[in-house]
Amino acid sequence: MIALSVASVLAVFLLYTSLAGGGTPSVSPSQLATKTGEVALAGKVVGTPTGDPHGAGMRFVVEDIDGTSKQRATVLYKGSVPDMFRTGRDVVVTGTQDANGLFVTKPGSMITKCPSKYQAADTPS
Amino acid sequence: MAELGRAALLVTLGLSAYALVAGGYAAWRGRRRLAHSARNALIASFFSTLAAALVLVAGFVRDDFSLAYVAGHSSRALPTPYKLSAFWGGQEGSLLLWLLVLNAYAALAVWLARKRAKDLVVWVTPVLAGIALGFTWLLVAVSSPFDVIAAPADGSGLNPSLQNPYMVVHPVALYLGYVGLAVPFAFAMGALLSGRTDERWIVATRRWTIVAWTALGVGQLLGAHWAYQEVGWGGYYAWDPVENAALMPWLAATAFLHSVMIQEKRGMLRIWNVTLVSLAFCLSLFGTFLTRSGVVTSIHSFTKSSIGPWFLGFIVVAVVFAVTMIWLRLPQLRTTAKLESLVSREAAFLYNNLLLVALCLTILWGTAWPMVSEAVRGQTMVVGRPYFDFFLRVFGLPLLLLMGIGPLVAWRRASLRGLLRTFAWPAGAALATGVVLIALGAGSSIPGLVAYTFSAFVLATIALEFTRGTQARRALTGEPVPTAFGRLIGRNRRRYGGYVVHAAIVLLAIGVAGSSAYDSVTEGRLAKGQALTVGGYTLTYRSLGEREGANATEIRAVLDVRRGGKELGPLEAGKNAYSVEQQVSNEVGIRTDYLTGEDLYVIAEQVNDDGTVFFRIFVKPLVNLIWLAGLVFVLGSVITLWPDAREERRLATRYARAAERSDTHATT
Repeated sequence: MIALSVASVLAVFLLYTSLAGGGTPSVSPSQLATKTGEVALAGKVVGTPTGDPHGAGMRFVVEDIDGTSKQRATVLYKGSVPDMFRTGRDVVVTGTQDANGLFVTKPGSMITKCPSKYQAADTPS
Repeated sequence: MAELGRAALLVTLGLSAYALVAGGYAAWRGRRRLAHSARNALIASFFSTLAAALVLVAGFVRDDFSLAYVAGHSSRALPTPYKLSAFWGGQEGSLLLWLLVLNAYAALAVWLARKRAKDLVVWVTPVLAGIALGFTWLLVAVSSPFDVIAAPADGSGLNPSLQNPYMVVHPVALYLGYVGLAVPFAFAMGALLSGRTDERWIVATRRWTIVAWTALGVGQLLGAHWAYQEVGWGGYYAWDPVENAALMPWLAATAFLHSVMIQEKRGMLRIWNVTLVSLAFCLSLFGTFLTRSGVVTSIHSFTKSSIGPWFLGFIVVAVVFAVTMIWLRLPQLRTTAKLESLVSREAAFLYNNLLLVALCLTILWGTAWPMVSEAVRGQTMVVGRPYFDFFLRVFGLPLLLLMGIGPLVAWRRASLRGLLRTFAWPAGAALATGVVLIALGAGSSIPGLVAYTFSAFVLATIALEFTRGTQARRALTGEPVPTAFGRLIGRNRRRYGGYVVHAAIVLLAIGVAGSSAYDSVTEGRLAKGQALTVGGYTLTYRSLGEREGANATEIRAVLDVRRGGKELGPLEAGKNAYSVEQQVSNEVGIRTDYLTGEDLYVIAEQVNDDGTVFFRIFVKPLVNLIWLAGLVFVLGSVITLWPDAREERRLATRYARAAERSDTHATT
């Protein structure tokens, strides 16, 4: 009986993961070139964002968070902008890269990484 | 001062090491006096930890910026309450709080159980000391809160998002929960080590488990409320790894609280129970690891830290130790009691357990998936909200239904006829609710409709139980209704307290379903005088103002709210611009309808130079039931926890009997 229940739970789980796939790949700006389809792009905001996120869209540039690569990506974003968003912050946006290399996001998909609450001791805030 | 703090931690390290080594040896060789001394060392280590904590508190209160930790998390201008909460504003202080709470729990638990569960405490002492030793080592050698620097003129301050009453209470409640699970774990391991695998360890730790479980639940709800009111994105739970980190041990502990009842009543599920309590404790270590190491991509943590590998090591040690002990004691843990019927209280509890653990493990899988996929495929993958929402529905809705069925099914074997009689009323109530809701248009969300129908069913069973109990008491004693009702609860605190907790979970389900399945949202850019309509409300943007607050410029848009031709007055929403921290935060406007539990929730997302504002407006029906659920949850927990002299006597005889049985078992 227990084995049966466990098996059915497992079946539901496998059914879901096989239908929905293994989630969205999470990539850094330097890995973006090799990816097609929907990805979660994690990067650090550099430069000044321009444009209206509630109008034609806001454009900003991100680079690798760990700073190992200087390769950058330009993001076109529409929708809610979290409080924490500004130059120098780490953000994650979900979307796809278009033919011109512009990363077009799903509206409202931005998550900011709050580096404050659980920061390591040696990182100045 | 710093030397005093470091010395206190060194003393704690020594005491814990002694309690582990001497206690372990004493338990192994049966040295009673040595075991006493180890136990006393464990209790003493609480006081030395307290001393270390007080040194840090003094550092904060006196603005002693020669302590690097104080300088990094406080400033002269910080209000005193936040100077105290800055204690756990960073990693080192949080670890010290963890250790302080652990040693407080440990000292109290072994002291209170010293007479009744003597033979267990002997083995519990080294287990608790081992856990404490690990954390003390981190504080002494890896991440010390007492590092000294050349004192700067002023500290760098506490992050504005932590300067909030919620952030004073929320972390403490969570830690009381996480760490409290160490007590039942240690007693379970103590029972395995001593070879006394009867149910005494469960009886001895019932209250500790409930305390920890309640604190963990309250901590999470406080966090949710904080997110809803202060973070201001329109929700209260985002399946963030750090949030999941607290939910998982809570789910495992919930399963444990239920399955131990089967062991108490019927002697079944012994292996399962020690497994569950180990799972709950390891998940609480994992939760601390997640929040402290920044290993998973998360809103709250991104930075790498020095203690990550250590924590991973702890978790591995805890898992290996628990698995080994359970493996070694398998023969003693096996029981002869068998499940007699698939329609019985035991079976219902078993289904409940399977669903809870399944939910817990799928959340674990989703949370750990970025790490797992990176290790296996070299590509980090993330699963989002749809994954978690799907499993919450698939496992959560049946759980809700079982909450109504489980408590009313007979032990051992229930007859179908009896079931029909028992559930006729609740099933009728549920059907009626379903029909009415469909008529009202709730069919727009099937999961929401199912949740409400099940909720009605559970509430009806709970109401029925209270009514029947009161009537039976009245028939027996002739007491008036309020007296009979009060005494009914007073005489059966575990049972009726449990029902109250169930009612709280139903309220939570109704609130979550209402605010997620039946919410409405609209957004748009408004110039002054323009209006937006959503969910029966009409909001007209009236004016924009700016004022200087204590440490921020407060920009506020004022909207006039109307519903059904009635003026409901103005509502403010805007942004605060913190000058020193150079940070902007949304200050949402919330209008609560206390009669229906509905919130009108306004975010002023973007204030433009030409005076137009981009608004995002939600109507969230029944969302306030979530917070009400928190109060009812605490009430129910307090009822089950409230000391009861009669129960104490019952337990005393059971202890004696269990010990006797265990002794005869040991000698034969």
